[in-house]
Amino acid sequence: MRIFSIAVWRSGMFAVALICATGGTVAAQWLSLPLAGTPRTPDGKPNLSAPAPRTADGKPDLSGIWRIDNPRPNEDLLSDGNSAPMLPSAAALYKHRVGTLGYERPGTFCMPHGVPDAVTVPSLPFKILQMPGVTVVLYEEFHMYRQIHTDGRQLPVETDDPAWYGYSVGRWDGDTFVVETAGFKEGSWLDNHGHPHTDALRMTERFRRINFGRMELAVTIDDPKAYSRPWTADTMRFELQPDTELLEHLCENNRDLGSLQQYWQGRDQAAPPTTGK
Amino acid sequence: MAHHSFAAEFDATQPIKLTGTVTKVEWTNPHTWFFMDVKNEDGSATNWGFEMPGPGQLLRAGMKRDSMKAGDVVTVDARRARDGGNRANAQTVVLTSTGQRLFGAQAR
Repeated sequence: MRIFSIAVWRSGMFAVALICATGGTVAAQWLSLPLAGTPRTPDGKPNLSAPAPRTADGKPDLSGIWRIDNPRPNEDLLSDGNSAPMLPSAAALYKHRVGTLGYERPGTFCMPHGVPDAVTVPSLPFKILQMPGVTVVLYEEFHMYRQIHTDGRQLPVETDDPAWYGYSVGRWDGDTFVVETAGFKEGSWLDNHGHPHTDALRMTERFRRINFGRMELAVTIDDPKAYSRPWTADTMRFELQPDTELLEHLCENNRDLGSLQQYWQGRDQAAPPTTGK
Repeated sequence: MAHHSFAAEFDATQPIKLTGTVTKVEWTNPHTWFFMDVKNEDGSATNWGFEMPGPGQLLRAGMKRDSMKAGDVVTVDARRARDGGNRANAQTVVLTSTGQRLFGAQAR
């Protein structure tokens, strides 16, 4: 977790250049500023190939602002030629979603991407804050957050209060941060093409920070009501976004909703029932 | 990148290029929208609406809140709405007075 300090601001040559470039005004708050704790090359640029930082307890520190390195995972968790082992109910729902160009995709109504795909939005980064007892993910998209508890608590076996992002606990397996999530409610899509999930979903995410500038994530989907066996998405790769901050992204002007609903009018008749119900 | 289904609203096979005078800019999330009057042959004007990414993505690409203002004349390359309405998804926006490209869809 980095906190902006006046001392760092005044000592950084980058800061001086920034002030000159902007005439002392800030066009977008903290769009570009030198952040403390960033390793730098002799010319002052962030050294993205420096080793991954570590916390006081010696674990890799995943903290930072990250963005997916390509748009594909947001569209489909699997690359061309690979298909998820969908049960018939899930396959019917998926086919309908693809055939209607995304009928009732949650984003239409400004509902956020869920787990895992909230980290795959190509244009909107996310920020990890790794702290003792909890790791927090701040998603720029729609100003959302998620907590991954690392204080030793156990996942609920059953919950009467299922959640969009589910309930998450994390642990370290060597240098890999392993996150288990359960207690999902139906609603979110696993990707924009519409791979579905049910409330039986359990997800395992394995985060690995390669170096200062790179992070990878492997996601395994285990949902016996929608898939015949657990399956693993293509490994996602993220690039650190240095010397910047998240920006506000609230859904204040959803002009698309009306025209999308008009497009789908009459096309929703063949909508299959939600999976698992 | 749209937060919603791009393909259900806009048609990538229907490119359109228009020049007109900006009447309003909505610098808002999840999408920036701007509107411009396009002159018809009979002298009347048709108001078009153009969708762009939200302010965060535009700021990171170098555009600013005041880069485009009401009264500016711009040329827009866009993908037209499927329903044929006077709306489109902007791919590039060029300011006529200076030739400056205010916005160009990112390569990825």
